Amino acid sequence: MNGLMILAAESANQATVVNEFEELLLRVFIVIIMFGLGAGLTPKDFGLALRRPWGLVIGWLTQFGIMPLVTYLLIISVLIPFSSPEGILLVALGALIMGSVPAGTTSNLFTYFSKGNLALSVTMTVNSTLWAFIMTPAALFIYSNLLGLDESLSVPFAELALVIFGLIVPVALGMFLRKLSSNIGAVLELVGGVMGLLFIPFLIIIWVPRNWQLLLTTEWPTYAVAIGMGLVGMTVAYYIAKAIKLHPMNARTVSLETGINNGPLAIAVIIAVYIDNPGIDEILLIPALYSLFIVIISAAVTLVFRRANVAAEQKIPNLL
Amino acid sequence: MTERPWLAHYPKEVPQTIDGGGFNNLAELLSSAASNFDKQKAFTQVMANGMNGSLTYAQIDAHAENFASYLREVLGLKQGDRVAVQMPNCLAYPIVAFGVFKAGLVLVNTNPLYTAPEMTHQFSDSGAVTLIVSDMFVDRLSEVLPKTQIKTVVTVKISEFFPVIVAGVIRLVQRFWNRSLPKITVEHTWFQDALSQGKKARNSANSAKYLDGIGLDSIAALQYTGGTTGVSKGAMLSHGNLVMNTLQMIAHSGDGMRRGKEIVLTALPLYHIFAFTVNLMGFYHNGARNIIVPSPRPPSNLRKAFDNYKVTWLSGVNTLFNALLNERWFQDAPPKHLHASAAGGMALQESVATRWRELTGTPIVEGYGLTESSPVLTFNPLTGLAKDGTIGIPVPSTEVKCVDESGNEVAIGEPGEIIAKGPQIMLGYWQRPEETEKTLKDGWLYTGDIAQMDADGYFTIVDRKKDMILVSGFNVYPNEVEEQIAAVPGVLEVGVIGVPDEKSGEKVTAYVVATVPAPSAEQIIAHCRENLAAYKIPQTVHFVDELPKSPIGKILRRELRTGAIGSNSSDASKGA
Repeated sequence: MNGLMILAAESANQATVVNEFEELLLRVFIVIIMFGLGAGLTPKDFGLALRRPWGLVIGWLTQFGIMPLVTYLLIISVLIPFSSPEGILLVALGALIMGSVPAGTTSNLFTYFSKGNLALSVTMTVNSTLWAFIMTPAALFIYSNLLGLDESLSVPFAELALVIFGLIVPVALGMFLRKLSSNIGAVLELVGGVMGLLFIPFLIIIWVPRNWQLLLTTEWPTYAVAIGMGLVGMTVAYYIAKAIKLHPMNARTVSLETGINNGPLAIAVIIAVYIDNPGIDEILLIPALYSLFIVIISAAVTLVFRRANVAAEQKIPNLL
Repeated sequence: MTERPWLAHYPKEVPQTIDGGGFNNLAELLSSAASNFDKQKAFTQVMANGMNGSLTYAQIDAHAENFASYLREVLGLKQGDRVAVQMPNCLAYPIVAFGVFKAGLVLVNTNPLYTAPEMTHQFSDSGAVTLIVSDMFVDRLSEVLPKTQIKTVVTVKISEFFPVIVAGVIRLVQRFWNRSLPKITVEHTWFQDALSQGKKARNSANSAKYLDGIGLDSIAALQYTGGTTGVSKGAMLSHGNLVMNTLQMIAHSGDGMRRGKEIVLTALPLYHIFAFTVNLMGFYHNGARNIIVPSPRPPSNLRKAFDNYKVTWLSGVNTLFNALLNERWFQDAPPKHLHASAAGGMALQESVATRWRELTGTPIVEGYGLTESSPVLTFNPLTGLAKDGTIGIPVPSTEVKCVDESGNEVAIGEPGEIIAKGPQIMLGYWQRPEETEKTLKDGWLYTGDIAQMDADGYFTIVDRKKDMILVSGFNVYPNEVEEQIAAVPGVLEVGVIGVPDEKSGEKVTAYVVATVPAPSAEQIIAHCRENLAAYKIPQTVHFVDELPKSPIGKILRRELRTGAIGSNSSDASKGA
């Protein structure tokens, strides 16, 4: 989750008591949101997502094909040419890691809000997270080599398992509760949605003041990459999905799944691998910025998607 | 001709005639269901987000008794007094309707979409003294009530009988998100207060007498309809009409409707005679669980109902079946437990029927009826030969024939006006003997619809005799729409007709001759919107130089329909 990532980023620098409280708050937020999302789903929905595997396949391709590529292209066309050279490769490395990790659960929330296919979204998140064990190191290996960096990095399997566990358990529990009582399910879904709405400003409020200095000193090419990778990733994935004629609902899902990567996972990996590297602050720079802006970008894209969905909704006259 | 060729096509379990089951009035019919099915769930109201509330047969019956006591003991209403109901589908609906019947009063179902003038007409024409209204529709009351005899207003929440927390959440969403709760500016009693007052005032010695003298011929409901002319008038449906039509419908369904086992999705509004008799009365009497949905628009509102309940039966109109067939979630997972579906209100398109059968693997049959016939007259048999494109065969104890202008039965295959006779035919129009005389002759109901009968006794609608427009099963009377349009400054003449429309069956189209400067189509539609219910508002306004007229100056709608006039049309199809 983006929120956790910020806190993780901070714990790399300065740990405070407030952070723990905020982290707890964010965890509660996310569990409630995932509960709510789960309560909106039935096993049937997952059956359908698996029965039509095209979304899953395309999502896999865009996740590990398009996102790292987009990130790499932004690095070589914007970041490196227009930034001051000092430490820029470390920043680039952080961007590559951010671009190579799988989708995060934030994508499920935005898929829900944009009236996408939530079951497909959850399935895609689980799928890409499992694949990350192989694909994230592979993508990183390829593109860091192209940048002249010799980075080999392995994603700790425990981190991935934690992501999947943290996703599947509340979703399954939410589904179970809905099965138990459709009223509990409906209330959970509503509460989860409201929490999801609050989650976005909450994240910005705790993020921005604390990182004010960072925002002021960061150069524009870094912003361009941090913002661009999500936005371009979503756009490209959306048009690919449209081009192969996925249902609009699934195209929206693939788009959000591709563009929204798992910030906290990227941070956790960086901290695990580079904790002793004096340049860790530079490596964390883009993942930190990405995590802030992806929430804002996704919110904007969601509004566009929602409008498209309302326009496509069947309008029928009064029945009798 | 007294021959009834359709009897040969009755499935073996369907009787040719039925008796009234020994019920002397609707209250007895309702009580028998309550004692037969007692602890079973009778009604479950499902909101679009899946929130729901349920009541059992016993609970419905007890609340209805309390409501009857409120009406009689607390409000002091007398036998035959009219009680108007204006609500979307909700758990309070059966309680109010059944309570009114149990109290020996007369129910006046009212469309919640009505505008203030339409409400005023229906309330004052019926002489209703009490109004039970959803608190979402109270904004028009301060304007309407002074022009009517209504003395008491009871307000109903949509979340009535939901679990407390769920009801609270729904209220919060209604108030702060949907903003669908207007301020109540008239004196009123909340429904739950009315129920507890009724409970307190209940006196079994008195309540035993509520129905003294109420028999099968007593009026149970005034069901408003346009009939043959534009003025909306109340069809007087007796206790016998509704008891018999309920039993006829159940008998005709045969094994297609399994006693005590069905879960029927009620997406159609209960204030309309179709859902009122078929779902509220028929399925209730047969021990089904009604899943009632307040609004099926947009159709995705029905998704949670299909997801969360094993729906076995669906009654609907062509528009609804078609809409469901076009919903992706419905295509992906058609209801697994569906047993059968019935269509009425408007013609069921053959393509829709075919696709429905292919997707769901279950039968769908079309039937026919009028408000004046409670409403069911004919239906295709569910377990026998169903002929698409026909309205089927008459239900038990019902005679139907096609006649010419002089009332003689026409030959098989020849078109003629449908006339029908049976225990479900109304008593007449409320306080309109002349209209009644034109419609009821020698016990035969003249429907104004032209049909033909085939050799098997199946009827097919050919045309409507009247000029009325049928928008999604709703009668729109050109006179009424024309009157409104004519009131717009700059409109010289206007002719309103229905043109075929894929979604609503027909759509209202206006031809206008205007002065210079002419009003815009938008202005005309805006004016209609203020004075007419949404379905009556023209979808298209054409400006023409002149209208076709008869020698005496009557606008010829028929010629308008053939469309043989030059027009510089101005489309204004803004969502009515």
